[in-house]
Amino acid sequence: MSTFDQTLDVKGAKCPMPLVKSRKALTELTVGQTLKVIATDKGSVADFQGWAKTAKNVELVAQETVSEGSQALYVHYLKRTA
Amino acid sequence: MTTAESQISVTSFTPTELYARILRDEPTFILDVRNEDEAKRSPIEGRKNLTSLNIPYFAFLEDEDGSTARTPQDRAIFVVCAKEGSSQYVADVLAERGYQARYLEGGYMNWGNFYDIRDVVSAPWGRIVQVARPARGDLSFAVISDGQAALIDPMRHTAVYTDLVAAAGAQLTHVFDTHVHADHISGGPALANETGATYYIHAYDAIHPIDMLPAVIAYTHTQEGDRFQVGAVTITTRWFPGHTLGQVNYRLDAPDGKSALFTGDGIFLRSFGRPDLGGKSEAWTPMLYRSLTERLPAMADEDTLILPAHFSTLDEGTSEGIFAAPYAEVKATNEALRPRDEAEFTSYVLSHLPVFPPEYVEIKRVNIGLVVPCEGKAAELELGKNICALAGA
Repeated sequence: MSTFDQTLDVKGAKCPMPLVKSRKALTELTVGQTLKVIATDKGSVADFQGWAKTAKNVELVAQETVSEGSQALYVHYLKRTA
Repeated sequence: MTTAESQISVTSFTPTELYARILRDEPTFILDVRNEDEAKRSPIEGRKNLTSLNIPYFAFLEDEDGSTARTPQDRAIFVVCAKEGSSQYVADVLAERGYQARYLEGGYMNWGNFYDIRDVVSAPWGRIVQVARPARGDLSFAVISDGQAALIDPMRHTAVYTDLVAAAGAQLTHVFDTHVHADHISGGPALANETGATYYIHAYDAIHPIDMLPAVIAYTHTQEGDRFQVGAVTITTRWFPGHTLGQVNYRLDAPDGKSALFTGDGIFLRSFGRPDLGGKSEAWTPMLYRSLTERLPAMADEDTLILPAHFSTLDEGTSEGIFAAPYAEVKATNEALRPRDEAEFTSYVLSHLPVFPPEYVEIKRVNIGLVVPCEGKAAELELGKNICALAGA
């Protein structure tokens, strides 16, 4: 597991909200800090990858899938780079 | 959300409307806001006048001005995403800037699960109804005659078929699969369970060709020469091995002398079923050759209507979206039936095999009951278009 500075819970949120909220939460971090995002939307895995390539101030440090009961959680670690 | 945004009520469009536009070949501009991989893997396809552009929704989030500037202003914009939410967001952004933008209800998922139903034959003895899933290029059929109904290759959304049969005031008696499908999940076993109809496949297909494990679903074996009465029509099983060992065609004979052949993944209108999905292409290709050159001519008359389980492109069908042609026409236009010897055919086939989608092995497991997926997994397995035909064939 990667280290992080803040956690954002977007469980149950549907596209585009996981990304919209993560984007906003990142602006509240200082440059160099990492945000851990916990989502239930499977589509977020590919979308966060695409977003990190598009955005100028985001680095996708790691992604993992963990299970919580019967549901899968998609966890993203995002670093603010600028 | 700003006041300006909340005042704009962006409207949606349905898969039904989209398909009607595609069939009429009306100019339609699709703005696909899914990520690049998904947009590439399962594009919305039309005829000549459908164009599409992929700008992911997160590009709009990052750079609204730049992304909007890449979107043409002189036409209606049909925004599409995976499940709806993001396309609604992008359509909102565009509408706020004066664009005429709408979003697809339910997203690509809904388009993939959209069924189009229309009559292929309507006669005094009854009807042959085509039930298509345009996004997947999948075709299935209902035969309705004298209060009885049979289905050929029904797909996963069983209510589509039970509603159709009920609306016709008929009772479902026979459910036929031409083979155990690899590209989509069959509705056959579930329909038989729900209605009490009998589910037929050839027993050779009840063994998973890669796993070598037998089916755990209930099915009734049907083989060459079996005859079934559905109302006033007779349906005869004709073995057509090649795409699978147990691929069969079902020939329909109507009281007016007309006939039809439900060919599954045997012969398509412009191609034929690939012989490699069982992992035995070198052994199965010569069998396919004999099916195409010897068995097919013996089971189809010149005017027998060929009704396959797939199309590759929409231009295989009529402008009304009917994918059927008399055997004489298929013979004349299908490159697969061009006379050639077995060696030439085999080397052609083996050098034109398209990519083998890994999920096809799993879908076959599902279709004989070895794996039971949840709805989400089932939908994911079926995403995108079938790749059952030979490439460039």
